Amino acid sequence: MKATLFNSVHYHGTTPEGVWPVPVDYYSDDAAAESLATAIEQFRMADELGFDWITVAEHHFGPYSLTPNPTILAGALSQVVRRARIALLGPTTPILNPVRVAEEFAMLDLMTGGRIIAGMLRGTPNEYVTYNVNPAESRGRFEEALQLIRRVWTEPQPFGWQGRYFQFRSISIWPRPLQKPHPPIYMSGSSPESGSFAARNRIGLGFAATHLERATRAAEHYRREAERFGWTPEPENIVYRLGFHVAETDDKAIEDLKAPTAVRRGTNISRANQAVEEAVANAGYYGADLEEQRNRSRNREQRTDEQIRGRIGRGQLLTGSPDTVFEQIKKIRDTLGAGVLDLTIAIQYGDATRRSIELFGTKVLPRMHEL
Amino acid sequence: MDDTPGAAFDDTEVEADGFRIRYREAGSGRPLVCLHGGGGLRLSRAHDILARDRRVIAFEAPGFGNSPLNERSRNMGELAATMNLAVAALGIERYDLMGTSFGGKLALSMALERREPVGAVVLISPAAIRINPTPDIGPHTLHRHPDSPEARRDPVPPDVHARQRALSARLLGPPRDAAFENRLATLDVPVLALFGTEDTITPPEGARLYRQVLPDCHLMLVYDAAHAIDADRPEALAEVVGDFLARHGKFLVRQESDLVHP
Repeated sequence: MKATLFNSVHYHGTTPEGVWPVPVDYYSDDAAAESLATAIEQFRMADELGFDWITVAEHHFGPYSLTPNPTILAGALSQVVRRARIALLGPTTPILNPVRVAEEFAMLDLMTGGRIIAGMLRGTPNEYVTYNVNPAESRGRFEEALQLIRRVWTEPQPFGWQGRYFQFRSISIWPRPLQKPHPPIYMSGSSPESGSFAARNRIGLGFAATHLERATRAAEHYRREAERFGWTPEPENIVYRLGFHVAETDDKAIEDLKAPTAVRRGTNISRANQAVEEAVANAGYYGADLEEQRNRSRNREQRTDEQIRGRIGRGQLLTGSPDTVFEQIKKIRDTLGAGVLDLTIAIQYGDATRRSIELFGTKVLPRMHEL
Repeated sequence: MDDTPGAAFDDTEVEADGFRIRYREAGSGRPLVCLHGGGGLRLSRAHDILARDRRVIAFEAPGFGNSPLNERSRNMGELAATMNLAVAALGIERYDLMGTSFGGKLALSMALERREPVGAVVLISPAAIRINPTPDIGPHTLHRHPDSPEARRDPVPPDVHARQRALSARLLGPPRDAAFENRLATLDVPVLALFGTEDTITPPEGARLYRQVLPDCHLMLVYDAAHAIDADRPEALAEVVGDFLARHGKFLVRQESDLVHP
């Protein structure tokens, strides 16, 4: 199995709650600079400790992530992270210019010597407000953008694109992706529609903001669909994102997570603005299993022992000593069959977080690589 | 009002080169001469849209449809000469050509045989240079959605289908024809070649060859269309074809305003 360290560059300071877009009333330049510096330092650590990938992502208009354009951070990291692959999980392609996304990925692939993982996501519901895109057309735009990006990477002659949502008269990007035919593609695939699309197009699937049982059902659907399209996904085709915190002992790990921090735990970008979430849901954004998908991001609080243990039990959090965390990983491997765990640092606990990354890298990762 | 594709087109014949050649016609303005694919003459919503701004003339090549068996045309060059005579017989002096699949090779052959009156050539899923020598042709490969009403409209009777298939196979020539491609390299006419992203008969991976061979060729991929682009994405096809016919190479530059509110 492989591990990737995901740091969303969460703003580590006081922020208003239950609102999106989040106003900057309490915004501190120093806190933002410190949040970014910490993230870059932790990515560098992860690279040196042998993490297989590091992960950056896109969110807008809030403290959840100070990387509205993850390709810019990936560009900086290309000169800091020397060995690990850099996974962008990922640009919210339906709200972006797909040719620009293809160009940026190609640049990054050149800058990293071919170490880019190209995730393409539909994003959280609120992102459709960001650049004023109708969420009802999110899936159509996503599917078309992905096909276009793949074609932009591989087509050797200038060509135009007469799409449903995108129209270009002539495209011929420079530079080209270093990886041939193109960097590995992943998309998020919690819904049946997404799993079927990924299977049909032979691309990897990522699960985030979910739990093990639900992700396992979605992965089974993906494998069945892949079989129908004549291929068998490898473990590495499935990425599972969850929180993690490792300490010397189980008790210390849980105590660490209960420590006071500037960031509210369980901050939920999808539901911070109820009117937006409802309007996006009503537009058909979630697809066939509406309620299942809407409920995915609930139960994210981790203030009490009970909540923390609940999240561990649901496979939403790896927490404990290295031995305990390794057992939790084996359970995920046996249940879900994921080949890559996307280990999320949403909240910083200072030295405890640094220690957690170190312990994972030295005591868990070598054993995980044997799985 | 009948909104079946092609309902507004007249149905006439013209005598040329010893053949009685059927053609459908609508619209007024600069003539666009259309050459059908191996499945025979079939008008689509794209033809209707194009006829709003120009005179669209869609020929039925001798031997296709219900016309008598054509054993006289020995190769694509001879058929092209016949069709050029048919265009001349209509008294048209300047025109554009649009050929689909089999008709793509026919259109190019017509432009090679008589270059001077041709303003531009549009190739839809052209079969002039083919990377798939043994395509599986049927409703499931012609259409992105084989069960759609448009895909199921007016099926061709089996005997007509068999005759058309035999005739187009006989005239089409080999998948790669060096002599023909050498002649294409001299064709100094603006060409727009369109391919459906879901086409397996003339796959979009073959598009690049047209740009490598033809001196002035623009490629256009039509998203989510199979071989029959005009049936699968008629509005998308007609928009870019109309713009290209009006502006040739200048069609790369967007003219529509993006102003939201004045």
